Amino acid sequence: MNLDLTEDELAFRDEARTWLRDHLPTEERPPEGQEMRDFDLAWQRTLYDGGWAGISWPKEFGGRGLTDIQQMIWYEEFARANPPFTLNNSCTFVGNNHGGPTIIVNGTDEQKAAYLPPILRGEVVWCQGFSEPGAGSDLASLSTKGVIDGDELVVTGQKTWTSYAHVADLQELLVRTDLDAPKHKGISWVVCDMRTPGIEIREIRTMSHVTDFCEVFYDEVRIPLTNVVGGLNNGWRTAMSTLSFERGTAFMADQVELASTVERLIAEARERTDGRGRPLIADEEVARRLATARAEVDALKAMTITGISRTARTGVPGAEGSMVRFFHGELHQRVYQLALEIIGADALRLTPVDGDVWTGPYLQSFAYTIGGGTTDIQRNIVGERVLGLPRA
Amino acid sequence: MDLLPTPEQDEIVATVRTQLDRQFALNDLAAHDGADRAVDRDLWRRCADLGWFGLGLDEHLGGVGYTLVEEALLFAELGAHATPGPFLATVLAARLAATGGDAELAAAILAGDLLVALAEAEDVGAAVGSTVTGRFRVTDFGGADLFLVAGTDPAAGMAVVDAVAVTAEPSLDLLVPLGVVDLDGTAARVSATDTADLALRATVLLASQLAGSATATAEQSTAYAKDREQFGRPVGSFQAVKHRCADMAARADASTSLARYASLAVTDGRPDAPFHSHAAWTVAADAAIANAQVNVQNHGGIGFTWEHTAHRYVTRAQFLVRTFGDRTAHLAALLAEPAPA
Repeated sequence: MNLDLTEDELAFRDEARTWLRDHLPTEERPPEGQEMRDFDLAWQRTLYDGGWAGISWPKEFGGRGLTDIQQMIWYEEFARANPPFTLNNSCTFVGNNHGGPTIIVNGTDEQKAAYLPPILRGEVVWCQGFSEPGAGSDLASLSTKGVIDGDELVVTGQKTWTSYAHVADLQELLVRTDLDAPKHKGISWVVCDMRTPGIEIREIRTMSHVTDFCEVFYDEVRIPLTNVVGGLNNGWRTAMSTLSFERGTAFMADQVELASTVERLIAEARERTDGRGRPLIADEEVARRLATARAEVDALKAMTITGISRTARTGVPGAEGSMVRFFHGELHQRVYQLALEIIGADALRLTPVDGDVWTGPYLQSFAYTIGGGTTDIQRNIVGERVLGLPRA
Repeated sequence: MDLLPTPEQDEIVATVRTQLDRQFALNDLAAHDGADRAVDRDLWRRCADLGWFGLGLDEHLGGVGYTLVEEALLFAELGAHATPGPFLATVLAARLAATGGDAELAAAILAGDLLVALAEAEDVGAAVGSTVTGRFRVTDFGGADLFLVAGTDPAAGMAVVDAVAVTAEPSLDLLVPLGVVDLDGTAARVSATDTADLALRATVLLASQLAGSATATAEQSTAYAKDREQFGRPVGSFQAVKHRCADMAARADASTSLARYASLAVTDGRPDAPFHSHAAWTVAADAAIANAQVNVQNHGGIGFTWEHTAHRYVTRAQFLVRTFGDRTAHLAALLAEPAPA
């Protein structure tokens, strides 16, 4: 047990701090459309040129090959640099954190050569085609069909909750390629070119006014069989390799950012006054809840370090990561719920989701206990895979 | 950076666990329910022989020479076993005596020859220095030779005084004998008025003990949920029960991780050590109480019986969160700290 950073890690921290000071964009991220895509890809390109793309990817695939601790340092330095945008709220997220890592683990040499470099260079946007109207938490019951016809898959069906589909080039798509096999065994993971004829994308309006949410319809969409990653009918295991990665470090950026958010909220409560001119933080209940939020965010960081310590011993991120996921999602919501109480009538004025004030992010916070597996599913995973409780 | 015990630390924990299972089985200790002490002198000496009271005390002060990190691991096990006895008062009194220059007194406490009870001020007017005056709540008073006395702010003075007769009161926890005593100008054997360091160590040890309690109740519920069958299947297969167990595990992981982090921050003398220590206490206090309470629920009727140990964790947690400051005090202290750099 120790809290020490190695000399390498200290040097890395200085390097990250200096680079971020010189290269972090100062302008706001455009909230939607082509401008947003251009902004996100330009930042990815800046990262690439600075040697910071693919921080968790192995070096042999062009990544930075950082250790988990170095990644945490990077996220902390990013948050400390007071950025005008959040790291994970980007249309490059799926490529960097899902599509790319899945291909690194499961792809052929040709697939790696074709797909990985453009992700790192900021030349391509990926989206995810997993959930369907009838397959949410029970993802393996998905019914979008992929019928083999010669050297192509012919895909028909519907996907939903697909962020950034309308600006994406490629999609990691789960389709059922064997109707007779048990539900987990008949699925394939395939790369779909979003410009293939037969694809229709419709935007879904959300409660937070974010416009990047989409549903995608497939009408006999023809995809080369060579786009299947990880083997035909082996898509469930291929997809799971991504999800275990997601339990590792993909959400560390959000967790680090939450600590800054709580400190901003404390500053807000010191500056704002009640009707009698008294600082809000002088209210005992407000003070107690802010202090509790501080403590819980501190615990979140310690849990993350414990997870990193476990992974360092076992080599793979364990299902314990799901504990951090639901602890974080619910804490994130509590922080913004508290924020709305503190700002009083200002809670009635809508602010942007990406901004550093409170109502837009409050509306967006509802996604934190749903996206990437609901907190109910995360609890099932902890109950069954960490604690060994029997399945229902 | 690493928050899992080293092999040497694992060995310390394993030894502690073996001793606690053997010597402090809760169902055996039930024989002492309601007595004025839960632990007899022989058992206390055996704990002393294992070095438990000076684990984190430097060798030149008569201790074993480990750090607060190992001491906190011991306290996590004490929490996990709901072990009764004045461990915290003893560890702090030995340190106060040793650092205050009374090596003989420290040695007698460390050897288990002198028993220490904890005496905490019940009124803010209490004075704790070279003399001690005020009304004090005393725990584990039976057979005590000494009191470790603390004012309402444990960072602003502690003292070791000779024990006097205590008026016993009914205790919420029958293995934590409770009484009250009025002291008026009692001379201290040893004392200090700036006890911020001692209070900080107490905060971390309590956080660790509470986290241990939260871990044990999480494990107790999970084991029962696998074992107990209703409707023809283990109750842990039902989502309502499964999710409660998952929540308990998350609270145990959060509190254990942060208590360890805080023990390291204090040991390293980091400027943000008070921040992490008060945060660790807060998270661990909430975890211990929440887990102990839901653990009773998870056991159904059997959890409500005296025979089952579930209630021990409930009442012990209530004692621990009122030892050396309460939730209000820790939250105020946490909010007063600057954010970690």
